[in-house]
Amino acid sequence: MKLTFSALLLCAMVAAPAWAASGTMIKDDDLRLGATAGAASVGRVSKGASVEVLARQGGWTQVRHAGATGWVRILSVKTSAENTGGNVLGALQLGTARRDPSRVVAVAGVRGLNEEELRSARFNANELTRLDQYASSRADAEQFARGAGLRAIDVAYIEPASRVQEGASNSRPWGEESSF
Amino acid sequence: MKSRFLLLAASLLSIGLVQAGELDSLFKSLLKNKLAPPAQPSESAQPAGSAEKPLGHLFKALTTGNTSLEEEVSIGQQIAGNLLGAAPLVRDDGLQRYVNRVGRWVSLQTERPDLAWHFGVIESDDLNAFAAPGGYIFLTKGLYLKLKTEAELAGVLGHEIGHVLRQHHLKLLQKSHGVAALGGFLSRKVKNQGELVQNLIGNGAEVVARGLDKGAEYEADRIGVVLSARAGYDAYALPAVLAEIGHVAKADKSVSLLFKTHPHPEDRLGQLSEAVGDKLDALPEGKSGAGRLYRLR
Repeated sequence: MKLTFSALLLCAMVAAPAWAASGTMIKDDDLRLGATAGAASVGRVSKGASVEVLARQGGWTQVRHAGATGWVRILSVKTSAENTGGNVLGALQLGTARRDPSRVVAVAGVRGLNEEELRSARFNANELTRLDQYASSRADAEQFARGAGLRAIDVAYIEPASRVQEGASNSRPWGEESSF
Repeated sequence: MKSRFLLLAASLLSIGLVQAGELDSLFKSLLKNKLAPPAQPSESAQPAGSAEKPLGHLFKALTTGNTSLEEEVSIGQQIAGNLLGAAPLVRDDGLQRYVNRVGRWVSLQTERPDLAWHFGVIESDDLNAFAAPGGYIFLTKGLYLKLKTEAELAGVLGHEIGHVLRQHHLKLLQKSHGVAALGGFLSRKVKNQGELVQNLIGNGAEVVARGLDKGAEYEADRIGVVLSARAGYDAYALPAVLAEIGHVAKADKSVSLLFKTHPHPEDRLGQLSEAVGDKLDALPEGKSGAGRLYRLR
């Protein structure tokens, strides 16, 4: 039974190649010849347009739209829910990091965490002590990062696109904003 | 002129930036008469040293917005302890240590690198993550199991770290529960600091079930992306998690609290997209850490 399920899952993954994702543009963007801002533009894709997602390189994703192929910023596209990969990045990562069948969560004994449970929660000192024991020091974290080949770089914080979106009015999250 | 002032005051209040200037003078006069009970060290874990602070000082600090680090941590501890009362830590030492290392590395890229950051994976099949003041960060086992790479974990933790950096929950508490705390204080129901803190945070860990305003969530998303990049990870891993969560059916119980307290992932992606624009064009490609993500025992 389990074997059949695994085999089925495997078939599903094989049958859904990483490059077959379909997506929708969530903002207007130039279709460029290469995965850099300096690459020549070969056209423009509008918000709402359907695209075929082909590849990823850094912050860029290659798409096909109306017969033309080019690169757009990865945050300009969202993939459709039907894609097995779930999203542009997920779909593109399928080749290297396939979903692990052993990580399918068992349906039985589902444990939620609703408002009522949170409201009636009682302080648990033992768990807090346990949490303390796992804390990582600066030196420990830095050693971990070295082992993982991670190097810190300078990146400035990003401000909101427009001040109107922050704070007071949130009735129109982003939909009607004109692109710029 | 006057109406313009009122409008300004109203809009400032609505974005929670007023640090209760008028209340401050009210408190001063109230406290002058009322301040008598000696500070009792609380039963619930408090950071060393905070016990000697007069209760009145803490009370005033909590309700007016001038919270000291000790006080912020003490509030966070109470919330964290309560949350752990509802959902204990997953019994997997390797997992908890791993998440603390990734989180601590990301936290080192912030303006609060020396905060006593704590990270934990809690027992719940829901998809959610929580932050409490003072550096307490939790994600559910359900969300952890959705992650595909270490960069995605870093992105999720980075979002929660953003809430702590900008003190989003602390501000929410000061805004909404200051009055309740005042009531308890004046009626002498509050005997010690622990009780005062609990008064401030309401019942149990309900504060984490209450939504922040959308702007705070969008801000935390932007911070999560930037911190991931600073730590050397793929900056686009957090958006990938958002997209993944966005595909979970709205009716699915595992996302009911998350969707109730956060803008829909699609809106969050849209906001992020607009804010990021071309700002990350020059970013070197970060690590995804696909093979490094700790697998649960």
